[in-house]
Amino acid sequence: MRLSPAAARWLIVAILILLWEALPRLGLVAELFLPPLSSTIAAAVADWREYAAALLVTLYEVALAMVIACGGGILAGAAVGGFALTRNLLLPIFSTLYAVPIVILYPVLTAWLGIGSESKIAFAGVYGFFPTMLGTAAGIRTIDPQLLLAARSMGASFPQRLARVIIPASIPTVLAGLRLGGALVIIGVVVSEMLTSTAGIGYLVTRYRTILDSTHVFASVLLIILLTVAFNALVRAVERRTVIWQTAGRRGAGGGAEMTPAAVVPASA
Amino acid sequence: MANVTALRERGSVEVQDVSHVYAGPGGEVPALAGISLAVAPGRFVVVVGPSGCGKSSLLMMMAGLRRPMAGTILCDGRPILDPDPDRVGVVFQDASLFPWLSAADNVEFPLAIRRLPREERRRRAAEMLRLVGLEGFDGRYPHELSGGMKQRVSIARGLVQDPPVLLMDEPFAALDEQTRMTMGEELLRIWSQTKKTVVFVTHSLTEAVYLADEVLVMSPRPGRIIDRIEVALARPRTYEMMASDAFGRLRDRIWRQIRSAA
Repeated sequence: MRLSPAAARWLIVAILILLWEALPRLGLVAELFLPPLSSTIAAAVADWREYAAALLVTLYEVALAMVIACGGGILAGAAVGGFALTRNLLLPIFSTLYAVPIVILYPVLTAWLGIGSESKIAFAGVYGFFPTMLGTAAGIRTIDPQLLLAARSMGASFPQRLARVIIPASIPTVLAGLRLGGALVIIGVVVSEMLTSTAGIGYLVTRYRTILDSTHVFASVLLIILLTVAFNALVRAVERRTVIWQTAGRRGAGGGAEMTPAAVVPASA
Repeated sequence: MANVTALRERGSVEVQDVSHVYAGPGGEVPALAGISLAVAPGRFVVVVGPSGCGKSSLLMMMAGLRRPMAGTILCDGRPILDPDPDRVGVVFQDASLFPWLSAADNVEFPLAIRRLPREERRRRAAEMLRLVGLEGFDGRYPHELSGGMKQRVSIARGLVQDPPVLLMDEPFAALDEQTRMTMGEELLRIWSQTKKTVVFVTHSLTEAVYLADEVLVMSPRPGRIIDRIEVALARPRTYEMMASDAFGRLRDRIWRQIRSAA
């Protein structure tokens, strides 16, 4: 029997879930280090109010940091990447800054903004900003100049070329940047909550860890995993709707084939 | 040029003493040197010449996409300074379709730029797709189309505003041999149905003789027109004509001109 790649991937996920339950149950791993999945879920359900409140705080911080990282990153990336002058002057600076471990900023931010949500939002926003910005700047540069020439030959003014060619053509790169930037935003929020805070899922991880309550630690971990998976699924759904042409184009209609199937199935499905 | 004034009518193209110089890395590169030519309405003129002779640049200038440093270009009797899709349609080598738009939306693009009402855009796009033999392919995206079909969409887009002049920059260069032959036949059919003036740039001498009323041969850089060859083969052109002596003689003459100028 041959498995399709998708089925094989689900099988791997199922095996991992099974191991999470089986390894501690069989005594192969101490429950302190890895509590069984069922006890973890039971802990989350039993204390659902606490987890829901923490999740709301984390989601709120993630949402605002996303606006800074993705909104600001896309705008700044377009502004920097779109013009030769800013590209040559600023892009090397931003690329270098990107390599700095931005987590060193966090103590400074807590000093400025306090240990509430503001410092998390600022930190995660800056953390996700750079890859989104650099991705967008690169995307703007890789637009096929032939398409802009064609649009010009059809009488399109600059605003029309911007709205009808430059923006749609940059969507794939922007989304790729958003995916990376968004993932970093989630990391940034959780890490900063773990470092210094009084609320959020990251805070729960740290608090339960200090009292060696591993089922509650893993319940928080499980929530963070679910949050990340949900974010990824969301970006994928957006990608599937908007950039079918990009993924499918590569497998592309070869010269001879006069008919290609009408159904468009993204390569990843 | 005794008949210059007679040419100044709908669909004529006139290039008057056009020269151009590029700023290259090693200084100025003369690209075009004093080109003059006149294309009467409804004629099919093919420009051939070695790589880098400036034939594509010349075409871009006729499209108003680039301005020559000296000289004038008249399209439809008036100077062309900027792109004007009402007078000139352009078909590029790589089809240059917008990959995020369906075939119909690609054809509609120039009409959308002009903010025409949606129903009229739909109607004209469907009409053009029918003309190029792609009826029923309205909803297909470029990546679902073969190379030849993409170029058909591109031709439909070039014709959708009904310009009297169609400029084609090596449109079939990236296609395989069979598709290229079919597209040549198709283009001649579309041309005879629409009565457009066509200026067509190519590397292929066979394609040039097969398609053209008149072949203009350009020299290597800086490009000049070194020969003007009337192709007096009957229309409609057929595949069998390619094997004829007359066809071979014309192709040989073009080849000798290109070789002697190199």
